[in-house]
Amino acid sequence: MRRTCRLLTLLIVFAALMAWGAPPTSPQDQSQPDQSQQSQEKSDKDQQKKKKKGGGFFGGLKAVAGESSEQQEVTATAGSKTVGEGEQIGSAQPTAADRRAVSAMESYAIPEKDVKKFQDEGQLKPKQ
Amino acid sequence: MKRTTAFRIGLWATQMVAVLALLGPAPEAQAQFGDFLKKAADKAQKAQKALQPMTVEEEREVGREVSAKVVAFFHLYKDEALTRYVNMVGATVAAQAERQDITYHFAVLDSDDINAFSAPGGYIFITRGAVVLCEDEAELAGVLAHEVGHVAGKHVLKIVERDKTMRAGMEEAKDRMPGSAHLHKMSKGILIKLIDQGLAPSDEYDADQRGVRYSHAAGYPADGLARFLTKLDQATEQGGKSFWTRTHPPVKDRNTRIQQTITAQHWEDADRPKLADRFAAETKTLKAKKA
Repeated sequence: MRRTCRLLTLLIVFAALMAWGAPPTSPQDQSQPDQSQQSQEKSDKDQQKKKKKGGGFFGGLKAVAGESSEQQEVTATAGSKTVGEGEQIGSAQPTAADRRAVSAMESYAIPEKDVKKFQDEGQLKPKQ
Repeated sequence: MKRTTAFRIGLWATQMVAVLALLGPAPEAQAQFGDFLKKAADKAQKAQKALQPMTVEEEREVGREVSAKVVAFFHLYKDEALTRYVNMVGATVAAQAERQDITYHFAVLDSDDINAFSAPGGYIFITRGAVVLCEDEAELAGVLAHEVGHVAGKHVLKIVERDKTMRAGMEEAKDRMPGSAHLHKMSKGILIKLIDQGLAPSDEYDADQRGVRYSHAAGYPADGLARFLTKLDQATEQGGKSFWTRTHPPVKDRNTRIQQTITAQHWEDADRPKLADRFAAETKTLKAKKA
């Protein structure tokens, strides 16, 4: 009696182990071979979507987060329908020459004595 | 007897569960769990980073990318004498700003539009059109001082710091490389905010107040910015193109506030130099081109 019970428990635990380690199954895996091509394509698409969102238990959590950020993107872009100048400037792709021009702008420095002379000539008397 | 058997079975099952727990889940599930934990830790780290203020170096990297786009779109106006003059006036007002942990850089853009704007990190641009609209050096100083005010007040920087999606990803070196996808996205967002949407009216009023303060402290009359704004309003009514009048608070409101400050501070100095002659001499080529 005890041996039977022990064997039974071992079997239950083994089954639980197998279920835990087994890859997740989707309804598409169980689809019948006589289904139409259309439904097969649909199931393929669904499967691709599932792959994108990530399978498995933890994949489900990732999918929830993904949907949230996608939604945010849609909300953010829905506001502007026309392309403004700022968007055009923002889309500009600077060339190496443009970047060099910015570097030149950064390194452009007027000696302090020249600035002082400039201020004196203008009788500006700055506080600092 | 029955109770003892049931107890033993229960004990044995508990032992098995404990062994299972010790062994952990199956390798695939374990890998998934590890991956999940790693990503969660990464997200937490990014969120933590996004809450911290940007360093001056980060600010400069963003400003450099914004400036590269501005230069790519408008192109710099290549006039060494004018660039030097604008930098002289800019340096004079920028020296009065509270914020001195960055260097302010000034450049003229080759555009007829009447605009001026600043990028994080101290990059300040004024268009040819805006310089031509000025009548004297005090007005030019007022416009540049307003832009210095935006940088000193960290108005754009605060927007970036508040926007976690803009900040996310800045911690990796490759994301901070010039032209990286991240910097492109961030600088585009800043330019849309600056030019299409405009900053908050409170930030514009603050930049006006700072601009008036810096101009006055530099030795110019405090009303240079107000005089420029009046002319800008008229110019845009006559078809002049400027995002200042489109995205900024009404000129009337701005000038009222500026005048209130000047009156309250007793800054109505009639004897301060407007330097119209020097301005005319320095911008002679530019004005001749316009005519």
